[in-house]
Amino acid sequence: DDNQMKDPDMASAVAAIRTLLEFLKRDKGETILGLRESLTSATDCLTGVDSSVAVSSGGELFLRFISLTSLEHQDLSRCKKVMEERGELFLEKISMSRAKVAKLCHTFIKDGAKILTHSYSRVVLRVLEKAAAEKKRFSVYVTESQPDAAGRQMAEALRKLNVPVTVVLDAAVGYVLEKVDLVIVGAEGVVESGGIINKIGTYQMAVCSKAHNKPFYVVAESFKFVRLYPLNQQDVPDKFKYKADTLKTVQNLSEEHPMIDYTPPSLITLLFTDLGVLTPSAVSDELIKLYL
Amino acid sequence: MNEEELVEYFRAQMRKDPDMASAVAAIRTLLEFLKRDKGETILGLRESLTSATDCLTGVDSSVAVSSGGELFLRFISLTSLEHQDLSRCKKVMEERGELFLEKISMSRAKVAKLCHTFIKDGAKILTHSYSRVVLRVLEKAAAEKKRFSVYVTESQPDAAGRQMAEALRKLNVPVTVVLDAAVGYVLEKVDLVIVGAEGVVESGGIINKIGTYQMAVCSKAHNKPFYVVAESFKFVRLYPLNQQDVPDKFKYKADTLKTVQNLSEEHPMIDYTPPSLITLLFTDLGVLTPSAVSDELIKLYL
Repeated sequence: DDNQMKDPDMASAVAAIRTLLEFLKRDKGETILGLRESLTSATDCLTGVDSSVAVSSGGELFLRFISLTSLEHQDLSRCKKVMEERGELFLEKISMSRAKVAKLCHTFIKDGAKILTHSYSRVVLRVLEKAAAEKKRFSVYVTESQPDAAGRQMAEALRKLNVPVTVVLDAAVGYVLEKVDLVIVGAEGVVESGGIINKIGTYQMAVCSKAHNKPFYVVAESFKFVRLYPLNQQDVPDKFKYKADTLKTVQNLSEEHPMIDYTPPSLITLLFTDLGVLTPSAVSDELIKLYL
Repeated sequence: MNEEELVEYFRAQMRKDPDMASAVAAIRTLLEFLKRDKGETILGLRESLTSATDCLTGVDSSVAVSSGGELFLRFISLTSLEHQDLSRCKKVMEERGELFLEKISMSRAKVAKLCHTFIKDGAKILTHSYSRVVLRVLEKAAAEKKRFSVYVTESQPDAAGRQMAEALRKLNVPVTVVLDAAVGYVLEKVDLVIVGAEGVVESGGIINKIGTYQMAVCSKAHNKPFYVVAESFKFVRLYPLNQQDVPDKFKYKADTLKTVQNLSEEHPMIDYTPPSLITLLFTDLGVLTPSAVSDELIKLYL
């Protein structure tokens, strides 16, 4: 929590990983197995605070990365030191990931393009910053994205970059799609099939984009790749669908508005990640390489 | 009857019966205008009725007021007006006007009678925003002792969906309000989609509250039937090819059109849904496919 307040621009998953690294440094356990278990429960605890998919996947990837090395030392403290070093390396890698994504994606934004995006995404913002820095002229339509009106925050940030931006209603996506050239959204999580989990409203934006034949691009860092395979909207676990506070306090979840939806891979044109520009079918290969 | 009186009468009609369609109130107003008119020629009468319709569209910018007014004018003139005496002609026109009004007051009941049979027991229905016709249909289905549940979209920017949910709760129908953004999310759970229409265009497409178009696209993607319920006075002589083609005077509320300079900053209130996405239209002229609409439209306006 402290970490996140320090830098609101940081992804919540990065803050979680910093926290886990700190947890590792302060851990007083006696065995590697015990360490692994406590790190897993720490990740679950953090997911209980911020129920985004990325925190859960980021934590799991952190754990795998730091253990993916020779831990055959006799001395536990030597093993821990190795793990801490790898942890720092991992953190460094992922801090660069957003910049890598922006570098890959901004070339797909042509001069004079009209872009549609959904809700508030720091990755999309970074991509648009880079495109604006490359002296490209483009205008943006951003959805209001109820129930938290996060789209207005995005519009504010874009106005600071002097990008012409229009806030549209969630209901106006079909209406405005004939005017736009491309759609770029972020992702809270990228699933095994190559589909994405993102703020509610993304799925219908993807369906309408397909109907209008507009390219639907997703920008996501690789730590968001998660070991889930939903087949429809119901398959996404409830712990990701609702805010953590809601899950703790509310009895009857069917009265609550879900915060995320699942977009199947057939509707996505390309995914821009720090591992490269991927088609949805290539995602499962990359996921295997990451988690092996 | 000058403009101010016209507008005042129209508003009074709307207040008297909030359940009445605004087009029906407009037609009552036009009938009253006809009765009080002091013109000397048939042609003058026709012109003043047309300008009265425009004036009312300026008050309530719904498509139905415009189409209803035009249909009223055509219906009352569709008779032998070969009398020497102007007052006799006017009397004939007034009688036909009353007949027209009576016919369209029955139209919502006819639509409900046709449509409720398509709602099977145990159905889950998705609807959009607040529509009195859809409400009437669901009332009839509930009266036939059918069990069904309804998802209704919140429908920003005026949150009209909540009004619909309230009305449905009074009928003891289980209803859930969903976000406009959650339409794609909830469509896998529903069996059919029923929406009203503000206007039905020549191609068989409809003009309705913003958000209808993307609901139709998603319904097509999920293979769910997309039904439209509309009275026949909503059939309008427009042929939009895309969203931009719909005239601005229908897209924004009348007050917005008068006060705001730069319309591109305003949220449009309606969108156009092409006929390819609509399964069936239920009207008081019968159950129509979108392609049959243009035939019916010609018969109406001839």
